Amino acid sequence: MTESMNESLAITPDSEICQILTCLPEKFVVDFANGIDVARERQRFMAKRDGFFARLYDGFTGQGDRNQAEINASLTDGVEGALSWLKDLSESLAKSNHAIVQVNARVNALKHDVATLVDFSIESRQAIDMLSQRLDERCDELDRNVARIDRLQQAHLHLDDVFGKWGAGRFNMFTLSGRCYVALEELRWGAFGDYCQTVSGRERQKQLERLANRAIIQMNKDAGISQGERIATRDRWLARPAGGVVAADGEDAIRYLGDWADPHSTPFAFAASQTPEELPLHLPRIIGAPRVTEAMISELFLEAS
Amino acid sequence: MSAPMKVGLVLSGGGAKGAYQVGVLRALRELGTRIDAVSGASIGALNGGILASSPSLDIAIERLESLWGRLADESPLSMKAPGYLALLAATGLRLQGAGALLGLVYAAKKVAGAFEYELPSWLDGLDDGLLDDQPLKQLMDEFLDSKQLATGMPLYVSLYRSNGGLRDLASAFMAELGLGDTPDSEFMHIQSLKEDQRKQVLLASAAIPLLFASRKHGEKRYSDGGQGGWQTMQGNTPITPLLEAGCNLVIVTHLSDGSPWSRQRFPDATILEIRPQQSLNRATGLMSGAQDLLGFDVDKIPTWIEQGYRDTLHCVGRVMEAQKSRNDLRASEAALAGMGAESARADRVLAEAMARLTKKS
Repeated sequence: MTESMNESLAITPDSEICQILTCLPEKFVVDFANGIDVARERQRFMAKRDGFFARLYDGFTGQGDRNQAEINASLTDGVEGALSWLKDLSESLAKSNHAIVQVNARVNALKHDVATLVDFSIESRQAIDMLSQRLDERCDELDRNVARIDRLQQAHLHLDDVFGKWGAGRFNMFTLSGRCYVALEELRWGAFGDYCQTVSGRERQKQLERLANRAIIQMNKDAGISQGERIATRDRWLARPAGGVVAADGEDAIRYLGDWADPHSTPFAFAASQTPEELPLHLPRIIGAPRVTEAMISELFLEAS
Repeated sequence: MSAPMKVGLVLSGGGAKGAYQVGVLRALRELGTRIDAVSGASIGALNGGILASSPSLDIAIERLESLWGRLADESPLSMKAPGYLALLAATGLRLQGAGALLGLVYAAKKVAGAFEYELPSWLDGLDDGLLDDQPLKQLMDEFLDSKQLATGMPLYVSLYRSNGGLRDLASAFMAELGLGDTPDSEFMHIQSLKEDQRKQVLLASAAIPLLFASRKHGEKRYSDGGQGGWQTMQGNTPITPLLEAGCNLVIVTHLSDGSPWSRQRFPDATILEIRPQQSLNRATGLMSGAQDLLGFDVDKIPTWIEQGYRDTLHCVGRVMEAQKSRNDLRASEAALAGMGAESARADRVLAEAMARLTKKS
């Protein structure tokens, strides 16, 4: 063995190998590994005995042959050890290969499972997207309903508020038809009017009927007439309140509010707001509260819009 | 792999080269090896005696290093004789022909004095210093405690049944030439002997023929155990008693280059040989072997200790490196098998989950 080989194989007490010396080594491993040192030592010894007398002596005593036989035996043991080791390694390699096959099989199975999971994931995502879309639609619908209900609520509150003021006598400074006109104008420009703008058909009709009902009740009450009773337009519906203080500002305000009214297309609104000297031709001269109210509602909420 | 480990250590004979075994023990300690039994021949028996009579491997190495350090440091002239011989003599082994040698020295001094010739000064001390064994007795008492030996690790020594110094030597000579073989050495379990016999038997194992007289034990006379079974080193490398004691791993140390001892003779045993990776010989020339055998000096002993240390790390390390790779392989196989079972469980769980998934979808 060369010096460099000795150095490369040097074992020190710090070597990791020293940590496993407490377990019994296998015989064939000892014979295999230690046999190398035994054979080398004998070879080295024989190599030095190359002098004439040494060779003569070794040949005569038989020590040369014995040494060679020992070297041969060590080498044979080494080959046997190598065979044993090779057999073990082959078996171990076979196990490893078998394990690799199993691992490959598992990997393939995993791939199939992953593909199944991917399919499942895609289907799930599609279902979730669909659900999300439905939920959005449902939420939008709910939002719209909530907004509509809110507007309806505001409209009803507005309606209650206006008729509360009317019932409390806040409009008593106006003529009977002027009271109705003022109430309707206030409703038209407030939450009630907005609500009626956003709805159509039956709902709008329904709200206007509700408005008409309450206005007819209040007009009958203010005029002191019974249901179905008709009174003179000029003398009663357009008459200034008797005994009360007529507010000039109120009349001006009504006139200003109704400056859009036309005696031909909106005669009731025109008469109520402008109180002309000459009544429009289409305006009945004797009329009941329902006719005044419904006609004015129609002019303000249907025709004006 | 699962059998309990019982490690035996064979300390071969080899005179002053026994210092090599101190390095072997130091390396084995650093490698974490436990030694359960020891056997020795000649100087190996003495080293083994100190090892077996010490309460721990650390203390044994400490004592051996101290003893061998002292043997190395003491000048042969101040010791009046090579330390190893003096050591044996000090423990009661009688030097062959000591009386005649002293008489010869005395006569030579007389003759030289008559001719006014000055002899070497160290001869002056031979007649009294050599037999003044008190310092060396103290040395032995310090390092080899018979009482501790009784309770120490099992120690076996080889003893050669002597037929007389010259006949023993002739037998060894014929065996060396391959014309015959010496009878096998006998092995004695030191702890089975009476206390007063232990040290004597131990030292008899190291009694070099001719230089020392054989020792009588019972009805038989014994000398250096390394002489038995010369051609196979049966006596000098006493592994048999350790195998009979049940050691399943035996570490064998050799103190000669190209030792003819063969592991092939023990096909069923697990044997780890520590063979010198470089020559153990230090002296050169015709009598180099004898010089190394008795070469207890400050130049050689430390080098043998260092060589024993390095050779042991190399030889044992190579085996352990191979065993480690085997262990790693086994561990990886076990881990693989364990993982296989775990994976099978995971497969079942996954299969059930997938079945539920596909059923729902």
